[in-house]
Amino acid sequence: MTPQANARAELLELINSKMNRTLKYYLDTCVRCAICKDACHQYVATGDVLYLPAYRAELIRRIYKKYMTGSGRLMPKLFEGRDPEDDVLLDELYKTTYACTSCRRCMFWCPFSIDTSWVLAVAKALLLATGRGSEILTQLADSAIDKGKNIDLYTGVIREVLKGSEEEMRRVVQDPNAGFVYDKKGADVLYVALAGTHTILPAAIIFHEAGEDWTLSSFEGSNYGYFLGDTVKAKEIAQRIVDEAKNLGVKEIVMSECGHAHRVMRDFYRMWAKEELPAPMVSVLSKVDGYIKDGRITVTPGKITEPVTYHDPCQIGRNFGLFEEPRNIIRATCSDFRDMTPNRQKQWCCGGGGGLVAETEFDDVRLKSGRLKADQIKATGASILVTPCENCRLQIESLNDEYNLDIEVSAVLDLVVKALVTKST
Amino acid sequence: MDDIKVDLELDLKGLLCPLPMVRVSQNISKVPVGGVIRATATDPGSLADIPSWARSTGNEIIKQEQEGSNLIYYIKRIK
Ligand code: SF4
Ligand code: SF4
Repeated sequence: MTPQANARAELLELINSKMNRTLKYYLDTCVRCAICKDACHQYVATGDVLYLPAYRAELIRRIYKKYMTGSGRLMPKLFEGRDPEDDVLLDELYKTTYACTSCRRCMFWCPFSIDTSWVLAVAKALLLATGRGSEILTQLADSAIDKGKNIDLYTGVIREVLKGSEEEMRRVVQDPNAGFVYDKKGADVLYVALAGTHTILPAAIIFHEAGEDWTLSSFEGSNYGYFLGDTVKAKEIAQRIVDEAKNLGVKEIVMSECGHAHRVMRDFYRMWAKEELPAPMVSVLSKVDGYIKDGRITVTPGKITEPVTYHDPCQIGRNFGLFEEPRNIIRATCSDFRDMTPNRQKQWCCGGGGGLVAETEFDDVRLKSGRLKADQIKATGASILVTPCENCRLQIESLNDEYNLDIEVSAVLDLVVKALVTKST
Repeated sequence: MDDIKVDLELDLKGLLCPLPMVRVSQNISKVPVGGVIRATATDPGSLADIPSWARSTGNEIIKQEQEGSNLIYYIKRIK
């Protein structure tokens, strides 16, 4: 075989290895009705066919048809068959694949429930195999893996810097013995935050007030290996938390306000690792909603009087199924809650998911496609936007500047801390 | 060490992780090989993110210091 034929055979084998029944169904079933065009915020905002969900999947479908179906092998031209090593195809595939936020709004609209983001997972595997993976997502994934291997170098210095936040915690809860809990064997809860203290401090205050038996993970929940589409790296990044949970023997892994981390831990880890989590993964939103309902913490009803609206992060709402818990918390703490239209399963993606907030090469489509979210926010007349996802918050902060929204962006737990009646009061 | 020649200053104060690391990555090619970026961040997550980025990309943190809540990194471009 020539080197080119060899390379092609390897790429086709890679694609074939991903071809399970579901994926074949997605590739065989599309009837090109284009209903999905009205679902994708990127296509609606730009009108660019590159962002049409069915077209994104079509690029992979053309390779599939040419090499993996009888009719395509006989009549490749009829199916616009393409080769997996075709540079023009790969360039286009890069732009359309890494731009997709995996919001799965198109799947919700499609009469056959075709999951374009699932097809694009194959596209990412193909791009990685041809050396075309996103450079910044690769760096982010690699540095998370490096951090996991060298965690002892960092824990001391990070915990030293976090002492300032522990001071703040003691001031709020009025307990000189309060603080962050590290490395506690047998704790009920392993809390997985993000890298910054803004996702640790509010949770620590609430856990303290609820009398929770908790310990803080040394690792952040975010997983850039998942956005990159490299399941080996993604598994290795998630594995850091799984190993920690095993070593500590915790009863629950509680995930902070981060959309994709919810899905990685609950849905994808077991697929990648072919093993179950050592303890169930629970959203911090469910935990805190439960604390309020069970009277483990007390909040002042309607403490926050400014108009508040809520954005369902795609990975927490449509793709994870948590719709009411955050709304319960908002209703318990705010007197003027205004839901957006549409909301819940039909919520528009903010435009920042899929790792896009870190990929500056997609700034143009990210900001343009965020117009739909900006319009939704404006229509509520709210002055506070609440959302339990770091990517969504970063994106909506950018939309704030881009579309003059003049809105305060907040996490859900921040509302709880503002309305909290501490045991010391 | 005190008279490190800085080729590029990056103000990353207030940026939440992973953005400090992302900005360093975006700017490293703006200094010559052997050149130095001084990056000032405030997110404690950068304490692990920036050094592990440097190690995994083959660059080097030649000095790291803290002034109040400012976390200052001197990052040398190696390749
Ligand atoms: S809505 Fe579904 S069937 Fe129709 S074009 Fe889109 S992906 Fe294909
Ligand atoms: S998953 Fe979201 S961004 Fe991707 S094609 Fe579908 S609607 Fe568009």
